[in-house]
Amino acid sequence: MIDRPPSSASRIRQRRPASAPESTSSKARLLQWLAEALLIVGLLGLQPTLMLSWVAIGLTLLAGLKLLEAKRLAERRLVGLLQLVCAGVLGGLQADLGPSLLQGLAVFLALAGLLALEAGQGPDWRLLLRRSLQVLMSALPVALALFVLMPRLAPFAPLSDLGQGGAQMGLSESLAPGNIASLAANEEAAARVSFEGDQPPEAADRYWRVLVHDRFDGESWQTSPTQPKTAPGTAPAPTGRGFSKAQQLWVAEASGLKAVPWDGSTLPLGRELRINGRGELLHSGRASQRRFYGLRPGQGMDGGWRRIPLRPTDLILPAGMNPQLEALGRSWREAAPAAARLALAETWFRSRPFRYNRSPGTLPARAPLDAFLFERQEGFCGHYASAFSALMRAAGVPARVVSGYQGGTWVQPLAGAGYLDLRQDNAHAWSEVWVEAEGWRRVDPSTWIAPGRGGGLRAAQGRGAAGWLERQWWALDLAWGRWWLGFDREGQEALLQRLLGERRNLVGALVLAAVSGGLGISVSVLGWLRRRPEGDPPRRELERALAALARRGVIPEAGETLGGFSARLEQSEPELGALLRAVAEPYQLWRYGKGARPAREAQLLSASLRRHRRELERALRRQPRRRPTP
Amino acid sequence: MNFGKTQQGDPLKLGMRNLYIVPTRFGLLWLAGIGLLQVVAIQLESNGPLLLSFLMLGLFLLTLHLTHFNLEGLEVRSGEPAAGFAGDTVAYPLRLRCRGRCEGLRLRLGPSEPDQARSLAPGEHLLTLPWIPPERGKVRPGTLRLLTTAPLGLFVCWSRWAPPVPQLVIPAPRRGPVGQAQTHAEPEEGARTSSRGETGGDLWQDLQPHRPEDGARRLAWRLLAQGRGAHAKRFAAPLAEAPLLTPAAGIPLERALEHLSAAILRLHGEGASYGLVLGPTTIPPGRGPGHRDRCLEALALAPRSL
Repeated sequence: MIDRPPSSASRIRQRRPASAPESTSSKARLLQWLAEALLIVGLLGLQPTLMLSWVAIGLTLLAGLKLLEAKRLAERRLVGLLQLVCAGVLGGLQADLGPSLLQGLAVFLALAGLLALEAGQGPDWRLLLRRSLQVLMSALPVALALFVLMPRLAPFAPLSDLGQGGAQMGLSESLAPGNIASLAANEEAAARVSFEGDQPPEAADRYWRVLVHDRFDGESWQTSPTQPKTAPGTAPAPTGRGFSKAQQLWVAEASGLKAVPWDGSTLPLGRELRINGRGELLHSGRASQRRFYGLRPGQGMDGGWRRIPLRPTDLILPAGMNPQLEALGRSWREAAPAAARLALAETWFRSRPFRYNRSPGTLPARAPLDAFLFERQEGFCGHYASAFSALMRAAGVPARVVSGYQGGTWVQPLAGAGYLDLRQDNAHAWSEVWVEAEGWRRVDPSTWIAPGRGGGLRAAQGRGAAGWLERQWWALDLAWGRWWLGFDREGQEALLQRLLGERRNLVGALVLAAVSGGLGISVSVLGWLRRRPEGDPPRRELERALAALARRGVIPEAGETLGGFSARLEQSEPELGALLRAVAEPYQLWRYGKGARPAREAQLLSASLRRHRRELERALRRQPRRRPTP
Repeated sequence: MNFGKTQQGDPLKLGMRNLYIVPTRFGLLWLAGIGLLQVVAIQLESNGPLLLSFLMLGLFLLTLHLTHFNLEGLEVRSGEPAAGFAGDTVAYPLRLRCRGRCEGLRLRLGPSEPDQARSLAPGEHLLTLPWIPPERGKVRPGTLRLLTTAPLGLFVCWSRWAPPVPQLVIPAPRRGPVGQAQTHAEPEEGARTSSRGETGGDLWQDLQPHRPEDGARRLAWRLLAQGRGAHAKRFAAPLAEAPLLTPAAGIPLERALEHLSAAILRLHGEGASYGLVLGPTTIPPGRGPGHRDRCLEALALAPRSL
């Protein structure tokens, strides 16, 4: 009975397991540090002017510090939870494809860390990562069911307008071409837009307006600070962004401006968008970050802003600043309708030797537009637009300068929808003049001078493999934006409407059914995976055969070999014993035989083992239920 | 978690009827995290935190089942425990049969601390758990707590079981006086096989090459110092001198048994022969591990009063 000599008591004492139940696995530590590193990388893209950014930074640092000092299991778990919350807050701040991928990876690593904490030192990396993926994937059906079907609440408080961030490149609220000696080539991305059905507008119509400069001081065109009221008939869609209805989906890079590019005739989708009386599309999101927005078809209204009654500022021209220009404009006043004066101006421009030049040098501070129109006669779009608008004002026609982008490069990526790529190089300025019965009409004097300049489609030219890769990435980013940001409250409403129609009161039952269905499927799959025997296919067949016997109470004795077990079984139950031997012997020969074990052989063997195993199961079923252990 | 009915019977099969499961404190904190992310998602109208919070909710609902899965279908039975000493850490063997993979299993016997989490593959496993028996005799190790919080620590699932197979616990060895009963005249077992007939005593009579199991006490140090190799002394003493140990008079029985336990171990270590008299039980003098174990078992099972 005493099989251990008592003198070994001291040895027993030594063998006592190191009583450190709280010490945690090194794998968990590594995984948590990796997740932390990813979160810190994610922080780099945050805008420091936002309060929520600081919340995210604080949480991430807290998780890092806790991870440094945490020894106990409970503390390490807390680190995991903090990391998950951080990833969520970051996801709220940055929803682009790149950051989203980063956040998803951080969530996975944080979960794997939590799993490693609980599993102790046991499982190896492959098992651990496989298990993490299993758990994550099994939770996804429930999560997606809730995400898609659970009705969403409106924000508790309106999103605060956090003002303009740091100055970004690109368009400016003041347009004074006379001060610019040369337009620098600037390939920076400005915006991307994808169209419904991949149908971009005609090249000549690709004018994407951003800012309207309606105040002229004789030298430069400014955007007047008092914003006209929202244009009538251009109210945004009542709820959500509803990208599913979008005709155009835009991604505007950070610009520092509230105004974002649009075509002037569509209608905004979403509450964060607003069209003001000048025809500027204002986005209430953070101007210092990339903005996603959708536009829906204008239904022939062509933007109510075009017909907003004139304001006195639209005719102001400081007298005496450009005397020659004023005199020329006055000479056209006799032509009665505004359209006739416009035609006079076009003829005048076309009959003079104007040249388009991106580096015309600066203009004198005194009467700069006179110098441009009557002496230099070369310049870029800003010169023509501001000189033409000033001329029209002198002629008594209300006019103003619009700056934005023109043209763009159509990019058709390998996969997904094509998009129009706008660079800062595409920045353009043109004029708008008030024509009775029509409202504001777009006039681009640059096209009179350099017809190739307007509407010219640049080929999607290279910049090498990096440029190609960048364009592919942006296509993915845009598709992601359409798909990910597009599913908002409105998209959800539309989906529920399609699913339930009039029976909206069933939404609770639908959510419950979807969640319990998802949970049921996940739990059964995981339960099956858990009971599935481990090892290679022949081993699994052997385990299944042994399990079938064990269900009938036929169990090997402690220390009994497989051969011994089948021999013993053969004595009491010849049929079962022979069948078990038919499984066990080929398996042992294969397992412990010399030489390599080719995969093909394993396949053949497991097929033959499966046959014998099934025979064994059939034989067991034929047996009466009572089964004494042999 | 430490409540719930203590299950009886061997083997114990864990299932719906004998498993308890509740959220841990971390699980409640997890729910608070979900709430926080919901607020962020609603306020920012952002899909990222919304999906993450639903994912965490899905994980919460899922791990309720997964944690339960870890113990469900687990069959526990007692092994055959070896003898140990009272007041010392002894090992209690358990046989576990897992139907599926069992993750993060923590076992705890009696008031000891739970051991480290372990993950068991499907199949049979033999585990030994340390515990400290408080007294001698055939002692049952108290309540076994099987507990798991895997995979995420959101729920704790446990069961309590009283392993029915007792472990033999020998009085803790303690130096002290022992009594000696009247010696017997009849020759002891070992002596009959001995060519010399009588062995034991203080004076050695012969030398033989030293074997490791002879120990340092029987090494002929002087010969070794003289460089004549390691030899073991063989003692021969009159048979009449083989002591018949008995509890010393005048001290409490339990204490006296502890002294006897130490004396038996000492005599065994010296290779001497000895016998034991405990009330009506008498074990004639002898030697060897089997004899020693018989004597120690008699000590362990001695009645509380002789």
